[in-house]
Amino acid sequence: MATREGPDDDRRRHPGHGQPTPQRRPATPPRGQVPPRPPQRGPQGQPPRRPQGPPPRRYTSPPPPPGANDETIVFAPVGKGGAATKEKPAAAPLGKSGVAIRTAGEVLITLGLVVLLFMVYELYVTDLFSAGKQSEASDQLDGEWAHDRTLHPELIDGKAFARIHIPSFGVDYNFTIQEGTDDAALEVGPGHYKGTALPGEPGNFAVAGHRVGKGAPFNDLDNLSSCDQIVIETSTDFYIYKVLPYDDEMKDWAGGKGADPKCKGVSTLRDGGAEDGGAYSETFGRKVVLPSQGTAVNPVPYKGADVLPKAQQAALLTLTTCHPQFSARERLIITSVLTQQVPKNQVKDYGDLLSKIGEA
Amino acid sequence: MYAWIWRKLPGPFAAKLTLAVVLVLGVIALLMFVVFPWLEPRLWFNEVAVN
Repeated sequence: MATREGPDDDRRRHPGHGQPTPQRRPATPPRGQVPPRPPQRGPQGQPPRRPQGPPPRRYTSPPPPPGANDETIVFAPVGKGGAATKEKPAAAPLGKSGVAIRTAGEVLITLGLVVLLFMVYELYVTDLFSAGKQSEASDQLDGEWAHDRTLHPELIDGKAFARIHIPSFGVDYNFTIQEGTDDAALEVGPGHYKGTALPGEPGNFAVAGHRVGKGAPFNDLDNLSSCDQIVIETSTDFYIYKVLPYDDEMKDWAGGKGADPKCKGVSTLRDGGAEDGGAYSETFGRKVVLPSQGTAVNPVPYKGADVLPKAQQAALLTLTTCHPQFSARERLIITSVLTQQVPKNQVKDYGDLLSKIGEA
Repeated sequence: MYAWIWRKLPGPFAAKLTLAVVLVLGVIALLMFVVFPWLEPRLWFNEVAVN
């Protein structure tokens, strides 16, 4: 017996063997000693011996009667499942202040969960809502285009009148463009700044779109590089815009990236004669501006309306979204220039167009 | 608070559990379809336009 004294043996062992009352197992192995047991063995490890003796820490060690060569092992009463933590003494009742503290804690945890839920809503649930609205708007637009090919779309607030495709985001990337940039319009998809030019017109066709949630149509605008194509589809035409040179590419555009065939038609728009670069001196393919910089969607970006007569204005497309992602501190502005117009009767569909312009 | 709600729920354990789940789902639906859509335009971080 003494040979098996483990660290926790003393509180479990009850050397009651030999005494007639606690001994419950008449057929004791004559060898004398129960085999060594692992320290964490529960009561089911020794099925015939029910727990007895309430306090676990008691080690009553009356000297074993003569001839005793076995022992009785007593386990702490740990309930049926055997988990020692299951039966805790009932907590003392909370006082009034205790209840108040607990309730305050519960309220705080609940508020935290609500905030988390709001994030889920913003990032995922609005996507679902917007996907439904977008597909509805898209179907409606297709229906209208199939019936009636008016040259100039009727602009009704919140109603789609064009479609944007960005081939570098995938063949299936397309969103309808609604009139207006209010919340309701932007929930459906990108929205056209009221009063700015229409697709293909000289001036600045400006479109805003969400970057996070609500379908996040402009989530990846920062992945665009110069000369990437943006296709605007109207009832009659495909307008192919290409992103203007970025700030660091401006200097050596003609000899550098501008020489790339895929940049055909893309110039810096700078006026070599003018010292500061002319009317478009502030126009770059990508720019990050403050939200208050509404001049980004002017006919000539960042310049007054009278800087160039309309006939001399380049046909630009400007996309705006929030920047950095998840923040509204600034705005990301992508500006592109019209390079090609393909009437719809010359191509079967958008896929056909892509193969013709070398993107598919 | 939650313990109090649990105590107020009638019926045996299974009924209480069902009611509790229904309550939780109801609160989530209320948040998702009513409260959050109302709250969202009042927050600033979804502005994408320049003006």
